[in-house]
Amino acid sequence: MTLKTTWYETDSRFIPGHYQPATLIDLALSRDIDSHRLLRGTGLFHEDILAGQTRLSPLQFFALIGNSRRLLDADDSSFLFGQRLLPGHYGAASHALRHAQNLHQALDTLVQQQALLSPLMTPRLVLDEKHAYLYWLDSCGSGEQWRFLLEASMTSLVAMSRALSGQRLPWECSFSHAEPRYVEQYWVHLGEHTQFNRPLDLMRIPREFLAQRWPDASAIAGQVARQEAQGQLQQLGCTSSFLGCMYRYLQRHVRHTPSLEQAAQAFAMSPATLKRKLQKHDTGFQQQVDLVRKHVALYLYQIKGFSNEAVAEYLSFNDAANFRRSFKRWTGSTPNLIRQLFNTG
Amino acid sequence: MFSVLKPHRWKLALLLLAANLGLLLHLACGEVKPVSEWVWLDIVGEGGSALLALVWLGLVLKSRPAGRVTNYLALGLSGIFFSWWIDSLDEFIRLPDSITWDHWLESGPMPVGMILLTIGIYHWHREQLAISAQMEKRERLFREHRLFDKLTPLGGADYLKRQLAGSLEESHGQQQPLSLLALDLDNFSAINQAFGHAEGDAVLQALSHLLLLNLRRQDLLCRLAGDRFVVLLPNTGESQARLLALELQQAVQGLAHKTRQHGERLQLSASTAVVMALNESPDALLKRLNLALARAKQPLARTA
Repeated sequence: MTLKTTWYETDSRFIPGHYQPATLIDLALSRDIDSHRLLRGTGLFHEDILAGQTRLSPLQFFALIGNSRRLLDADDSSFLFGQRLLPGHYGAASHALRHAQNLHQALDTLVQQQALLSPLMTPRLVLDEKHAYLYWLDSCGSGEQWRFLLEASMTSLVAMSRALSGQRLPWECSFSHAEPRYVEQYWVHLGEHTQFNRPLDLMRIPREFLAQRWPDASAIAGQVARQEAQGQLQQLGCTSSFLGCMYRYLQRHVRHTPSLEQAAQAFAMSPATLKRKLQKHDTGFQQQVDLVRKHVALYLYQIKGFSNEAVAEYLSFNDAANFRRSFKRWTGSTPNLIRQLFNTG
Repeated sequence: MFSVLKPHRWKLALLLLAANLGLLLHLACGEVKPVSEWVWLDIVGEGGSALLALVWLGLVLKSRPAGRVTNYLALGLSGIFFSWWIDSLDEFIRLPDSITWDHWLESGPMPVGMILLTIGIYHWHREQLAISAQMEKRERLFREHRLFDKLTPLGGADYLKRQLAGSLEESHGQQQPLSLLALDLDNFSAINQAFGHAEGDAVLQALSHLLLLNLRRQDLLCRLAGDRFVVLLPNTGESQARLLALELQQAVQGLAHKTRQHGERLQLSASTAVVMALNESPDALLKRLNLALARAKQPLARTA
């Protein structure tokens, strides 16, 4: 079995300079930062970006983020960047967001058009009876920029849904990292109920807000924009990143985890090439497998209400003790504790 | 860099000229020492001092606006540099014993430079007092420029936390109440959306000035994050703090901010919350304050 081999990698130059990167550049320039210093080491020129011809690779974007963080030297940079990100000015995909009928349609658009709207962070949407959950995956191995991107992405969604719905939506955000020194930025930009030291970088919202109609949305304009954005994606030739494809592949086969060789075969490359590609994205095969299994285990607990034994069996663990050990390795905590953590939230 | 040095170009040119003349004079009257006679320790010591004096001069000129105090400092440092420069020249050039003017060149400018520098530093001190008076309500006893906010002329959250820790202890020791006030603009994101983020920044800057005007001398205003400001109110009970909060709210409503592009009036309003410090850590107190603010904003949720 082979998969479609159209994905983008960390060195594919496909992010238009005047899309998300321009948002960050504008923010930095508004704080009187010199454009030459900002673009140093990225291989980019301000004039080229202004001409609308430059395409950035994720790697170049990471370098730009690194420079911006260093030069802006402020705790709110990621949040201010996030506030300006969505719906954005990324062609038809942004139009589709702006004319979304409700939150559900906006989230679907965001997930489908991720390569255009959020190339560095892959959002995944999960629903249960009460809540909609959105969690973020690292598209291209962002390394030390992960925290910045995560803060920006969550802020972008909170800010966009507030702007388009005309009200403050009760998003609740949880982060896997410890409470940072600048926690007040989280309070102001993401809400006072933001939680830390959680098993997942996750945001959730009560389901009734998904279907509430948004004002100022034109159904026809939205429909056409979505079609156009689909065409734009086809032109781009890929809908998600290499890591995103790997995640989906592993998720499909989570009950019987494939070996590195099987995965390589499915991706139509040699095991050595697969290994090298994963390494290029700052990760490894086992790390990706563990990530998927952790997410599936948490999904089964939280949404399906499975017991320990049922989850262990679903993930084909021979015995419960073995599973508990693995789970502790993935999340730093035992299944029972994690479930308590969730319930208090 | 060069635009900063532009008002001082005559001073710098004169210094360069003087240094060169000294060098030429030495070369004309003396003979160059061979490398074997160089005393490296003296060269590093005296030459290094001259170089450092030049660095100080550059830093002073670059960091200060031009003016009387800057002139004193620059002249003083120039004299000191010139002295050390001449001093280091005789490490390379031997003058015949019959010449005495080199002692004058070497030692003359030094005391003059020192005196000018001293006068400069004294006036700098006076100037600093005047500036500190202007920093009232934005700074208390402790200065750390790295904790300043990048947008408004206020301290940031870290500065607040630092001050809060000290003030909590103080209020505990003196058995005096201490209150905190939080103020958050309603609908700030709508301003950003409608008029652009640059306008939003301008609103925050205007607001920070407005709030300062409405505070007492001993109060400290900081920008916590985004459009949220916190005021530290020493020796203030909760009811008095509430009164202050109400006054600030009214001041914000009365502010007739005009947009920069079209001069359109923005109607602003703010929500406030007040907490009085109990026996708790600065972090817990701030958390409580923000939760109180979230509750105060709750009825506004549909518009915020």
